[in-house]
Amino acid sequence: MSEYSFIAGLLAAGLALLCYAIAFASVRLAQRRSVFTPAGAGAGAGAEGGSLAMASRGSSGSFAVYGTLIAWLAAGFITASLIFRTIAVGHGPFANMYEFSVAFAWGVLVMYLYFERRYHQRALGLVALPVALAMLLYATTIPSTSEPLVPALQNNLLLTIHVAVAIVAYGTFSVAFAAAVLFLIQPEGGRRGLPRPELLDEISYKAVVIGFPFLTLTIVLGAVWADVAWGSYWSWDPKETASLVTWLIYGAYLHARVVRGWRGSGSAWLLVLGFGATLFTYFGNLFFGGLHSYAGLNQQ
Amino acid sequence: MSQIAPTLTSEPVDDLEGGLAISPAFLLERVWHFFISMRTGLVLILVLAALSLVGTMLVQASPGLKSDPQAYAAWVESVRPKYGGWTGVFNSLGFFSIFDSIWFKGTVTLLITSVVACSINRAPLLWKQATHPRLSMADTFFEHAPLHATLSGPSDADAALAEVDGAFRSHGFRTVVEQEGDDIHLYADRFRWAPFGTVIAHLSLVLVLVGVILGTALGFRNTDFAAPIGAKVDVGNGTGLTLQATSFTDSYSTDNGAPSDYASDLVLYKDGQQVAAQTIRVNQPLRYGDVSFYQSFFGPAAVMQVKDASGKVLFDEGVPLLWGSNDGKERVGQFTLPDQGLTIFVVEPQSGEVSPTIKAGQAQVEVYKSGSETATDIKILDQGKAATVGGLSVTFARERQFTGLIVARDPGVPFVWGGALALVLGVCLVFFFSNRRAWARIRRGDDGTTSVRIGAVIRHDVAFETDFRQFIDGLKLALDGRSAS
Repeated sequence: MSEYSFIAGLLAAGLALLCYAIAFASVRLAQRRSVFTPAGAGAGAGAEGGSLAMASRGSSGSFAVYGTLIAWLAAGFITASLIFRTIAVGHGPFANMYEFSVAFAWGVLVMYLYFERRYHQRALGLVALPVALAMLLYATTIPSTSEPLVPALQNNLLLTIHVAVAIVAYGTFSVAFAAAVLFLIQPEGGRRGLPRPELLDEISYKAVVIGFPFLTLTIVLGAVWADVAWGSYWSWDPKETASLVTWLIYGAYLHARVVRGWRGSGSAWLLVLGFGATLFTYFGNLFFGGLHSYAGLNQQ
Repeated sequence: MSQIAPTLTSEPVDDLEGGLAISPAFLLERVWHFFISMRTGLVLILVLAALSLVGTMLVQASPGLKSDPQAYAAWVESVRPKYGGWTGVFNSLGFFSIFDSIWFKGTVTLLITSVVACSINRAPLLWKQATHPRLSMADTFFEHAPLHATLSGPSDADAALAEVDGAFRSHGFRTVVEQEGDDIHLYADRFRWAPFGTVIAHLSLVLVLVGVILGTALGFRNTDFAAPIGAKVDVGNGTGLTLQATSFTDSYSTDNGAPSDYASDLVLYKDGQQVAAQTIRVNQPLRYGDVSFYQSFFGPAAVMQVKDASGKVLFDEGVPLLWGSNDGKERVGQFTLPDQGLTIFVVEPQSGEVSPTIKAGQAQVEVYKSGSETATDIKILDQGKAATVGGLSVTFARERQFTGLIVARDPGVPFVWGGALALVLGVCLVFFFSNRRAWARIRRGDDGTTSVRIGAVIRHDVAFETDFRQFIDGLKLALDGRSAS
């Protein structure tokens, strides 16, 4: 069941992205057309105010609406997949890279949908959905078999909370990243068809405001777990350190937003850097080993 | 950020004299302004992030390694193939033990100084804002505030006030009203204590650092504490504790052979009295007072029996074979006979490996005078048969397991948890409860209406703008309703 839901979720996420892409492309097209026929009704969606979200009429609008509906569907399928998985394996679905990747994608989808509902900016989906889709596609490339937990992971409560909290942080950082990318690709003053830069700046900030406390909690819970399982609350394990780097970058971002000369693109670049650090933290254990490596543990 | 204001003793005649007249107070003030600058903090955070990144990208030498120059040099050589010509550069920059380096510690020190300075700088201001806020604002404020609106109200100023006051209260604001002549001033705020979250979050980092320093200075951490099953092993480090592991079991999954459980039965003694007994697992350490015992590793031990010429038993315990030989074919353990001044090494073939000299089921025993580099006697023993080695009767009795523990005492831990808790609470307080402040002024106009001016500042709280507009729209409706009635 988990498998079927996963595949359905994967397809739905892909389809949602396709809808957004079509919607966005038609907005751009309408804009270009409107340059040539400024008085014509063809200006339609483009003249609605520019943003994809506001393109509520015409074909591009309906594609965007379908996109959102299908994205909700994708989130539903992935949720179902995670629930079935939890029932099947008997612990939070966060114990190996497959489970964690699906959960990551879930976090991105849910956080995107939350911000989409709140700010009505579907353009975010153009960046956030590929992140979710990439995670799901990545999940298809790694073995999905559920192995019994190695002793260090046999802590159901902390495994579930520590990783669930991390998923929320990662999801919000993906949204912040999406908004930062849309911010950075625009010239000063904004570009039609994309959300206003100030709005994107606000969305990024709001996303980090949720994500930062969750990342802080992830690290603290990680330290609590490490103190129980590894005999030390902090041991400069590469994944630990990478999460610290991520935390510091988002901490820097929160300060940068109020420092002259760092506002706007400066802090947007920090968000891109922060997302890079997030991915590095996430994938890190694949190439730097350490205590977080989930395979080939020879001691614990 | 406030401007740096030089405090000169007298008006400088020219630039040169001005430069010379730098007083200690001026210098202090400059240093102070350096540390309370948000920009300083930002740069320090980014430097710390960059240094930490180095720590994840480059292999780090294990913490104890630096104290043994020879072992450290050998370790550096072992990573040379990986980093080539950069090895020397990285090493001299301290990049192989970055978290112990002057760069890292220096940056942390500067950052914590900045954190403390900023908190000292901000706290009184926040306190004043929360307890004695400015109640009235001038016209210029209502004209230039980032969020502002002018509404017209009913002729009855008190009725207008009631509407404004009620509107703020229904949005969760606290209000303070002040009468000044014909003007009514209203100050409204929400979550006025939330800004202290930043102070709490920042100072929590100091608490964590205090915990780390305390732990390093007063604690100990033995990561290779090996307890052969049955043997009583002193914990040392001034704890007065003795540990006996009565059993060790390692279980493996039947599906894929991956480890599924490690468990040791431990009994803890203090001054000969049993004080604790527990089965420990990887996620279930034994805690006694502030000393903790964690399941960490395990391995084989050789039970050795040593008697002197008179037949008196000098040693009868398991010797953990903790180390591997350089070629990886043998494993080595060691024990001492302090009264005899002897150190005895036990060497066995590694399981699955063929040693050139020692057969399976045999152990090689090497006797050294403590401190000497050359063995006084070396013999290969068959299991169960006594032999004379260095004048002593030595028996390799049997194989046993040992359980490997981490034993640690860290008096800094409560500070670290206190800091962590404060950090999470502080961060949540700031971000989930945004402090909002607004001012209103109600003034009777000549035309029989009252003018209601409202202004608010935005501090890192962009959603306020939307809420403010909605608030004004709602209030406008209410005031219009009053005027009409």
